[in-house]
Amino acid sequence: MEFLHLLALGFGEAMTPMNLGFCLLGALLGTLIGVLPGIGPTATIAVLLPITFYLPPLAGIIMLSGIYYGAQYGGSTTAILVNLPGEASSVVTAIDGYKMAQKGKAGSALAVAALGSFFAGTVSTFGIAVAGPTLSSFALSFGPAEYVSLMLFGLLAATVLARGSVLKAIGMILLGLVLGMVGIDAASGEERLTFSAIELFDGIDFVVIAIGVFGFTEIIENLENVEARGVLVSKLSRLWPTREDFQKAWPAVLRGTGIGTFLGILPGGGATLASFCAYSLEKKVAKNPREFGNGAVQGVAGPEAANNAGAQSSFIPLLTLGIPSNNMMAMMLSAFIIHGITPGPTVLQNQPEIFWGLVASMWVGNLMLVVINLPLIGVWVKLLTVPYRLLYPAILLFCCVGVYSINNRIFDVVLAAGFGLLGYLFRKAKCEPGPLLLGFVLGPLLETNVRRALVISHGSPSVFFERPISLVLLLATAAMFILMVLPSFRKTREVAFQEEEA
Amino acid sequence: MKQLISTAALVTSMLAGIGAAHAEWPKDRPIEMIVAFAPGGGTDVMNRTLAPYIEKELGAKITILNRPGASGEIAYTAMTQAKPDGYTLSSLNTPGYLTMQMDRKVRFDPKKICPVARIVEDPGSFIVQANSEFNSLKDLVAYAKANPGKVTIGTTGLGTDEHLALLQLEKSAGVDLTAVTFNGANEARTALLGGHVMAIGINVGELMGGDHSAFKSLGQFADQRAVIAPDLPTAKEQGYDVIVSSERGIAMNCDVPEAIRSKYSDAVKKALDNPEFQEKAKQQSLALSYRSSEEWNKEMPARAERLGEIWKLVKEQK
Amino acid sequence: MADPRKVGETGNRPDLLTAVMFVGIGALGLWAGRDLTMGTASTMGPGYLPRIVCWLLVLVGLAVGGIGLFRAREDIAAPKLRPLSIILLSVVGFAFIAEYFGFVAASVWLLVIGSLADRESRWREVILLTAGLTAFGALVFIVGLGVQMPIWPFWE
Repeated sequence: MEFLHLLALGFGEAMTPMNLGFCLLGALLGTLIGVLPGIGPTATIAVLLPITFYLPPLAGIIMLSGIYYGAQYGGSTTAILVNLPGEASSVVTAIDGYKMAQKGKAGSALAVAALGSFFAGTVSTFGIAVAGPTLSSFALSFGPAEYVSLMLFGLLAATVLARGSVLKAIGMILLGLVLGMVGIDAASGEERLTFSAIELFDGIDFVVIAIGVFGFTEIIENLENVEARGVLVSKLSRLWPTREDFQKAWPAVLRGTGIGTFLGILPGGGATLASFCAYSLEKKVAKNPREFGNGAVQGVAGPEAANNAGAQSSFIPLLTLGIPSNNMMAMMLSAFIIHGITPGPTVLQNQPEIFWGLVASMWVGNLMLVVINLPLIGVWVKLLTVPYRLLYPAILLFCCVGVYSINNRIFDVVLAAGFGLLGYLFRKAKCEPGPLLLGFVLGPLLETNVRRALVISHGSPSVFFERPISLVLLLATAAMFILMVLPSFRKTREVAFQEEEA
Repeated sequence: MKQLISTAALVTSMLAGIGAAHAEWPKDRPIEMIVAFAPGGGTDVMNRTLAPYIEKELGAKITILNRPGASGEIAYTAMTQAKPDGYTLSSLNTPGYLTMQMDRKVRFDPKKICPVARIVEDPGSFIVQANSEFNSLKDLVAYAKANPGKVTIGTTGLGTDEHLALLQLEKSAGVDLTAVTFNGANEARTALLGGHVMAIGINVGELMGGDHSAFKSLGQFADQRAVIAPDLPTAKEQGYDVIVSSERGIAMNCDVPEAIRSKYSDAVKKALDNPEFQEKAKQQSLALSYRSSEEWNKEMPARAERLGEIWKLVKEQK
Repeated sequence: MADPRKVGETGNRPDLLTAVMFVGIGALGLWAGRDLTMGTASTMGPGYLPRIVCWLLVLVGLAVGGIGLFRAREDIAAPKLRPLSIILLSVVGFAFIAEYFGFVAASVWLLVIGSLADRESRWREVILLTAGLTAFGALVFIVGLGVQMPIWPFWE
């Protein structure tokens, strides 16, 4: 009963005209920056922080959160339309979403993404409200050993992302791991693989690689193909998903929501891992895994739901413990503190209107996003019919500004051009960049946690098997590996290394 | 490529020279403040909060530009390369600024960096979970003596404030502690809450700025108790020679006329005294501790020397 | 891409290219990290994992190449240098111009040079598009979203 009471209090706060207005403003702004590749919510929120000085605390925080989850919605739009994931979590959306767009089913992909995200957002918002504190104490039990096992699981799952040869996918993951090691090693202070370039001391930014190997490479590739130029390979079909699409999508959305809510609460790479894991799961449970990578609607629905659920539940550690789980949440923490609120257990008790108001506004914001985004689908799809010679310069400009804005320096733009060249060579070599990006994101987490776990255990590797959560994850990894390898034994040698070439 | 950059820079600076019809500093164009850390971090938020009050004092416009990377080296390099006309300044943070010069050759000329005003001095501290059996550094040391190497302490990397504090405590108390590296204070705090490490190092202001009900502090590593933590005993009071603090301030190129530098320094002082700003500083738990250009400049060598001594411990450990 | 498969011949060219890249990057990583300390498994040095991963990459590369040698012949579609070089050049140019001459100059360069990559581009369209996108970019990115880049060559 008390819970309903608090929720009512929250909705009372969230529904005031002013808070509604700022929620809408944040959601709109978030959609805008999500659609513009490279411009991330972190930078935008940093710029807007000083403006929110002049707002009441709750209104300011509602707006900033709106930008965050709005950007998650918008990010999948470019991934689907022009194969340009703006952040790690939409990399997998691009795989099947873009293929759907090429087949003329962009509208269907966008609608599934929006509806799936809304459903996931609703579930995980109520998850925060009901089980926030419980979930966060579970997240705390994840120590270095648990992370190592989780990352190994994630990396193995990444091989499923590729359509072609498993061996090539493993190579791309390893390449991603190498790229992730560039920079100063925190534990020893030594610079690694930086070629003495000061700009590489902090490592390479994700956006630089993503815009290079996805954005620039896609443009070059499209310009090379004289006959099939542009995104659309076949004619535009209907805007709305078919009945069959819905039937395939909804179980995927359910599974994605579960994975996302759960992994989102883990500090660090949780939310990113969620969309990758959802994709791998969908591919494994699908009746016809061959559809994946060729425009499977589940390949959009699952990861998108996971991504949005993860974005919502990454608020849990911040709101309940006062600990931000990623850079974006660290920005939110600054925003809270500037407004004189220190998130954590005490806020829940002393200022319930802030916590519950924010939770309620998240749901309201998600609803607004669906209302904003569904009618926009028509506009986005029309965009694909614009001749490519007019479309690609715009994409080029957005990419360049986005890369520059990460650190305000030209080095990153030049580096992204270099990755464009590398991505072009990968295309020629029929290597897919998805696993590379996952290796890149998870690699540093894997390495620091391996080292941490072994320092704490004084070098004894038994730590990975003694801790129950870690052991379970390792067993799951082993099981998945066996499942992957078993069918290969039955096939001929040739087929063994070529899972199913598209 | 270097050639190209320098040629282009030359052309630009020539063009800029032609275009500039100087009014008196600081009125003819906005002052560019290079912040060495990413937007949203402690240094960035502090500077963005303070900037409007300095603007008021100077009657000039200040634009903030973030040049994060390499613990500040990128920002310091950019600042020293800009025209020394008083329109470009940068944030300055110790001990990072001093320790980066100890181990390797840096890409800027330290002789060109002149401190203009110190804003904050935030002492280091060790914290444990609120229900821990440790209540002071003494308890921690006693446990470490009985169980050598068993005490795990989270730091944010080699040569950081927390790591330097750990080394000093090891030496001063004659114990063996195990440093566990985390990427930033938030990760370390999470690990402490989950009980994966026994204690972590964190600056007092950083701790007070968040919800700290789940932690307790074992002592602060300042010379004298900081204004924001008057009840927390220092390590010295507990009998250990551990002094580490991080300073945040502002620097300019030394070629900037001294009159401009001291004018800016005064403006910072007045801005810090503004009650409206003080209110905001309190919200953010900023350990305000102003030093003028002159005073800070004078203190710098002693600080560098002390860090040099501690740095030898880092080398030994390697 | 239409890959003409020649019957009877062996040597999968995409696989061989993959092998060259994997082995090359792996070797480059080993070379760049040659001075990093290994440490032991319990206290890993900064060079421990990079070395292992680079060796694995080299091995995977050799495996891909070895298998590729014996697979049926498949060619790589001939690369077209025009789009590749022009796009990369326009992007790199954008970066340097933005740094020294501001957004407007850089954007004009990027859009005009970038449009050369496509033979179908028409001049009138390029000019209109450039004007429109540059104005849009300056307003949305720099004024609106606060990207820290000057609009014009000089601040004054």
